Formats: sequence, C-alpha cells, structure tokens
Amino acid sequence: MSEENHLSRRGALGAAAGAAAAAALSAGHAAEEKPPPTPLKGRIKHSVSKWCFGRLSVEELAKHCVRIGIKSIELVGPGDWPALKRYGLVCAMCPTHGIDPGLSRRENHTSCLASIRNMIEEAEKFGFPSVIALSGNRKGMADDEGLKNCVEGLKQVAGLAEEKKVTICLELLNSKVDHHDYMADHTAWGVEVCKRVGSPRVKLLYDIYHMQIMEGDVIRTIRQNIQYIGHFHTGGVPDRHEIDETQELYYPAIMRAIADAKYEGYVGQEFVPSRDPIASLEQAIRICDV
Amino acid sequence: MSTSDSAKPRPGHGPLALTRRGLLATGALAALPFLGAARAAEPPKAKRRIKQSFAWGCYIRRGADPLQMIKTAAEIGFASIEMGPEQHWKAIQDAGMQVAIFGAGGGFVDPKNWDGAERGITGAIEKAQKYGIQRLLLLTGNRQGRSEAECLDNCSKFLPRVVKAAEQAKVRLCLELLNSKVNHKDYFLDRTPLGVEICKRVNSPAVGLLDDIYHMQIMEGDLIRTIRDNIQFIGHFHTGGNPGRNDMDDQQEIYYPAVMRAIADTPYDGYVGHEFGPKGQDIVAAMKRNFAVCDV
Repeated sequence: MSEENHLSRRGALGAAAGAAAAAALSAGHAAEEKPPPTPLKGRIKHSVSKWCFGRLSVEELAKHCVRIGIKSIELVGPGDWPALKRYGLVCAMCPTHGIDPGLSRRENHTSCLASIRNMIEEAEKFGFPSVIALSGNRKGMADDEGLKNCVEGLKQVAGLAEEKKVTICLELLNSKVDHHDYMADHTAWGVEVCKRVGSPRVKLLYDIYHMQIMEGDVIRTIRQNIQYIGHFHTGGVPDRHEIDETQELYYPAIMRAIADAKYEGYVGQEFVPSRDPIASLEQAIRICDV
Repeated sequence: MSTSDSAKPRPGHGPLALTRRGLLATGALAALPFLGAARAAEPPKAKRRIKQSFAWGCYIRRGADPLQMIKTAAEIGFASIEMGPEQHWKAIQDAGMQVAIFGAGGGFVDPKNWDGAERGITGAIEKAQKYGIQRLLLLTGNRQGRSEAECLDNCSKFLPRVVKAAEQAKVRLCLELLNSKVNHKDYFLDRTPLGVEICKRVNSPAVGLLDDIYHMQIMEGDLIRTIRDNIQFIGHFHTGGNPGRNDMDDQQEIYYPAVMRAIADTPYDGYVGHEFGPKGQDIVAAMKRNFAVCDV
C-alpha cells in the first residue's frame, strides 16, 4: 500500500473508533493487519524516538512497537507515560531541558538541574531507566571551561540519580551539520565529564549518527568507552534517513560490537523516515537485530 | 535529538518498493538489505562504474605466480594493479589494465628533505610518463614537534618545486591521507581539511589527495559528505575495513557499496584501490568478494 493510503486508512479507523475505544487494545488497528514477524534475537533492547514519527500518535506508534518488538518509545513526557504502560512499554530516555541553554554554563544550572531532578523523580515512579542532559552551545566559551561547568552541574544531581537508580545521559551531538556550536560534540570530551563526575549514574548518550559525522571510528570508540555509555541513538549518514544500504554505516557490525560489549541499555532508532515510516522502522529493527 | 526535520520523500523511491510485500518479494527484508551482492559466490557481469585497483601486496603474496594473478585480476574486472614492482608493470598493461599509482617518496614536511624529495619525485614523474601512469603517491612525513601551521607552510612551499614537471607530464601528485591515531602515529596529513588546504594553496590540477577511506574513517568519519564536498581535490582512493583493516565485509562498520555509489555519482574518473589484509586462505575468492562490494 502507498504511504498515503496507509496514513489515511489509519486516520479513518482512528476517527471511527473514537476516544473511548482507544484504550481497548483488541480494537482493530493497522498493526494487526500485518503478518506476525519472526521473533527478534533479543541481544539489543530496541527503542524509538517519538519525534521521528511525528505523524503517528503515541498510541499508534505503541501498537506498532508491540508488534515489531520495540520495548520503548523515548523522548516523550510523563503525559504519555500511562499510554506506554498500557502497552507494556517504557520511555528509555526521558526528556529534560533543551539543547541550549545547557549545562556548560553555570547560569543555566538552576533551570537545567531543576528539570533533570524533576524528571529523575518522575522516571523513578514509572521505573524508567534514564533522563537526558545536554551541554548547550559554546558561544565562545573554551571547551575545558565548559567541561568544568558541566561536571560541577552534574555532580549536583548525581546523588539523586544514584538514589533513584536513574541514569543521566549527556548527549553527544554533531556541531558540523545539525547543531552548530554545540559543545559536547566529541566522545573524548564527554568521557572526561563522566570520569570527573565519577558516578555510575552519569553517562553518555552516544548518538552513532552524530558521532559518525564528527569523528568516525565508531566500533573502536564504542568498545573503548562502553562503561561510559548509557544509551545509543542511530541514524543514516549523511542524511539522517533510514539506516539501510542507502547510507555509509554498516549497522549490523556496530550492533554486534555493542551486544558483544555486554551493553545492557537501549538502542533508540532516531532517523527521519524518507519512505513509509513504519516499514522503515521495522527494517531498522531487523538491521539491528543481531 | 529533537530537530523539527520533516520526512522528505526522495525521488526514485516509488510506492511499490516501499511496501512490506515489495520488500519481502525482493528478498530484501529476509536477507537483510546489506551486502547482498557481496555474498554472491559468482558476481554477475561487472558494472565497472568504479575503476577498481588493488595494491600489489593486497592480493599477490610471496610464492604466488604474478602472471597468473594479473590474468585473474583482469578476468574479475579490475582495471589496475597499483604500487607493484616495476618489472611487472608491462604485464599488467598487456593484460588490459593500468598501474593506477605508485609511490614517489615524500617527507617534505621537513625542509631538510626537500632536495631529496625533489629528486625522487622528478625521477618518478619521468618513470610515470614512460609507462603512461597518471598518478603518483606522496607521503608528507611526520610532524616531529612542528605545529600544524608550520607543516602546512612547509608542504605548500615545497610542492611548487615539482608541480611544473607534473603538469607537463600530465601526472597528478596525490598526497596520501593516513590515520595518526592507530597506524601512523605523528603522521602530519591525517585529516581531509589539511590536504584540501595544501591543494588550495598550491593551486595546481597536478596536486591532489589520496583519500584513504579506511584511514579517514578512523580520523574523521562523515565519509560520503567529505568525498562529495572535496571530490575535485581527490586523485585516488584506498579502501579497507574498519576496525581491523581487513576485507570490506559485514564484520566492519563501513558500508562500502553506499560510499562507492557516492563516488560513482560524482565526476570522479580515477581509480579506487583495495589496500588491506584479506581474511582466509583463498586469495582469488577474496578478490572476487571485495570486487563485488565495490562494483556498484
């Protein structure tokens, strides 16, 4: 079926079902019309970033996740979490403050740390594993000064994270193409932050797409720093579309390296589908099922 | 994380290909859409959009019969065997292939080596002309405590000494990019922008880069974008799996078919040379396997 048909049909079903029926999981929905997939191997815990599938509701995406074998829909707020619970899903990466302002400037600490603390408390209530943190942009600040500030900020919330058993993950982003001037744009910088904070609950969100743009050498970097990595994101390079044969990274080999490193966290699909979004998501999970 | 990028439909991806049924029908989902061609024991007729070459030592080992290996390479579809012993160049050309590139020394990051480098490169240009070879491989040498700016200056000041002769002979001097992180500690020319800067300063069509994809994946990643943005400065490519510097197979992180398609879609008309240690005892099988990966 074409994407247009697919979407409009689901829209029609949704309208007919109405709000009251939304909670009834047995109600007819597009996901059930597809044949049951072969079981996943389970060496990688799969997650998906909601923003990449903006045209689907959380409920619609959740139904597909259940069918495909995805265990988490991430970067959605607490308002959506009861829906995730109903489908047996988690939010593997809970949103906090934005990309900028971030933790590399002291003047941002009050507001950023408040949102991190708040989300740690919320995540603990639902048993969700991680919350995100971001460095913010350089704006002329030297990297070592920003590093000190990040460490100082994260140290203030590390205790709460340890107590609540929720991991704070500082995300590495590319500053070359998508997030100009973002400070946490190399693994080495992020690892240094983690070392100085010295908490098992402060780690990195290693975004494979972003780090391939910034530094390459993905498998070696992952192997050498796996103890500092609390979460992964994916995406095709260079265009952030599907992670398939249209782009330069061979994801199965990267996923094997992650699984072989005894990594126990989630891998979040975070690419912008250029085709039928659910077919692309399903393909991505098959590619990462090693 | 969150950017507001909306999904951009791409031309050329028709609805038929998008459906799950379509994917299953072509076997794409079942076999995983990666490396399908590479797994075929006998590749179909070579497409040859990429002119493939290999470094002599990559597939021709001690004890092998060079003439037999040259014949085999030509049959598989290789367009060149590079950097081998001069005694075999005529046989390579007689087999319908070319010697894409050979080494011409270097070390000119240090002015003490300039006279020797000039002699070596000038001699190599003459030799290249004699055989109709159009590219020479140059190595900058190590930093040895020099600043990046000083290294750039030294390279850019030296190269004009040999550029005229290269231009007249229609030979392109290709400065090789190597990784300084794992294999060649302290090597100066370890990132594409440094090489591009030298090319721009010297400003001659006879000076370009040897983009070693294996080395640049270790140093900087972002392969396809970097190739597209800088293709006019690239005179030759090398390949190899990362990590490990073995075959371009499914045990490493670079998806070479996509990189090769990106190269083939540019106006690049040079060669792509295999340069790694193939796994397994069956060298001919390795040649075929890796040829198929890059034959897009």
